Amino acid sequence: MRLGPHEARPMSTTTPVAKISRIPNGTTQRVTVGGHDVLLCNVDGRVYAVEDVCTHDGGALDAGELEGCRIMCPRHGAYFDVTTGRALTLPAILPLPTYTVRLDGDDIYVEA
Amino acid sequence: MAIELNVATPPVPADLIEDYRHGQHDSEEHYKFKSDKGLTREIVERISEMKGEPDWMRAFRLKAFEIFRSKPMPTWGDTALLEEIDFDNIHYFVRSTEGAERSWDDVPDDIKRTFDRLGIPEAERKFLSGVSAQYESEVVYHSVVEALEKDGVLFCDMDTALKQYPEILKKYFATIIPPGDNKFAALNSAVWSGGSFVYVPKGVTVAMPLQAYFRINTENMGQFERTLIIADEGAKVHYIEGCTAPKFSTSSLHSAVVEIIAMEGASVRYTTIQNWYRNIFNLVTKRAVAYKNATVEWVDGNIGSRLTMKYPAIYLMGEGARGEVLSAAFAGEGQHQDAGAKVIHAAPNTTSVVTNKSVSAHGGKTTYRGLVEIFPGAVGAKTRVKCDALIMDERSSSDTKPTMKVNEQRSTVEHEASVSKIGEEQLFYAMSRGLSEADATAMIVNGFFDFFVKELPMEYAVELNRLIKMEMEGSVG
Repeated sequence: MRLGPHEARPMSTTTPVAKISRIPNGTTQRVTVGGHDVLLCNVDGRVYAVEDVCTHDGGALDAGELEGCRIMCPRHGAYFDVTTGRALTLPAILPLPTYTVRLDGDDIYVEA
Repeated sequence: MAIELNVATPPVPADLIEDYRHGQHDSEEHYKFKSDKGLTREIVERISEMKGEPDWMRAFRLKAFEIFRSKPMPTWGDTALLEEIDFDNIHYFVRSTEGAERSWDDVPDDIKRTFDRLGIPEAERKFLSGVSAQYESEVVYHSVVEALEKDGVLFCDMDTALKQYPEILKKYFATIIPPGDNKFAALNSAVWSGGSFVYVPKGVTVAMPLQAYFRINTENMGQFERTLIIADEGAKVHYIEGCTAPKFSTSSLHSAVVEIIAMEGASVRYTTIQNWYRNIFNLVTKRAVAYKNATVEWVDGNIGSRLTMKYPAIYLMGEGARGEVLSAAFAGEGQHQDAGAKVIHAAPNTTSVVTNKSVSAHGGKTTYRGLVEIFPGAVGAKTRVKCDALIMDERSSSDTKPTMKVNEQRSTVEHEASVSKIGEEQLFYAMSRGLSEADATAMIVNGFFDFFVKELPMEYAVELNRLIKMEMEGSVG
């Protein structure tokens, strides 16, 4: 089946998934976008979105503490850079998938 | 047959057996500081303050302390034995002397006597290029040969490294084993003291093995040393660590963290024989990364302790990286050796070999617990796992729990396991040559461990053979 022009583009949320005013600096919020669990992270006023699944063993990251741009998986302590998705320490090796974030006033939109 | 090698094993001196049975115990007059039992935020802060550490390490320790408190005990493994650990009944920091001492003459006499019994000076005379001896929680004697320094090799205790090479530590410390990895890694991260730091610059080969000797001496004292070994591109190093411990009346905890980084083309071998007394919990996290064409080898011998849980790991991160884990375990009465290996093939054409041999006697228990994981895209990865268990009597037991996660079809995975009992025919043959039943048994067990002993420096090989002989006494009949 061929995809139509609309389907070929990255799917972007047409409705906001969260409000930045509800995610203070240094905190996170888990949302669901296009069937994916996505973690919104406020790093110094800028919002980044990564998949909320640790690449080590599949645990959720949202219970982990955000320290600057680093988030720690609460299960086995792997650190990730939420601005790039990169795994900073073992036991994780693979990076977290990242998503493009668009802000419109207080509203946060995510491309998934 | 390998048995022949061990016929020449020297007899065990009577005093050595006595020391082992009754425990070597020195007076505690030389302790400069001993923390209260139990672990609090204040004790963690005090440790950092006494060591004069930078803020980032203090913050790291406190964060690790919070993780330790929040993490549950493992729900796998020998949970019944793990429950025996009373975290509130342990001294988490003991300082025996003020810092490291360069000259052997400066080391206090009773400490020196202990080291003499352990053979440190002799070892140094024979082939050491550097000695880092740990007494209690901190290094008291440390010497580095000039040649090492000329080559730019850094070899010191971790406390010194934190002061002298903060940038290297900041970059690599806890990147291989973060505090949140497991409860005991978190504990180590909060209260670590001592351990070795090794950095070998690009292209440098350290011809002689670097050695450290560890010993626990305070009743109920935990030892939480932290070791970091970095071999830069094309560097080669062999690090050896041995442990003995005297007898204690109540349980003691040893929980080390060892991190190894082998950069592109580097080669690191880490050899250890752990000989803890049978009331000690030995819960250790050891992990290495090997980048492109690098090699990491763990040679790991476990004798003694109440419970050992140790699974040296190698992450093969770059193409052509190679890993080998060679381990031997002996479990006697009331002991459980839960040991194994983890190898993660995360790049193409990586190879690994895991060889594990265990003996259980007098009601002891051995467990091989291992993981091999092949990542998608690790085309051409090859691994071979072989674990053999020898059970000496009806009361003893052995479990094998290998896990293989293969996510790349174009890889080769082999696994082989055997469990056997000591053969009456073997015993009869050896005894017909004039050996006593006990000597024959010890000889057969030594032969079983032969592959491992061959990889050890001579004095360690002799020590291991002696220890096995001591452990096997009275095992027959």
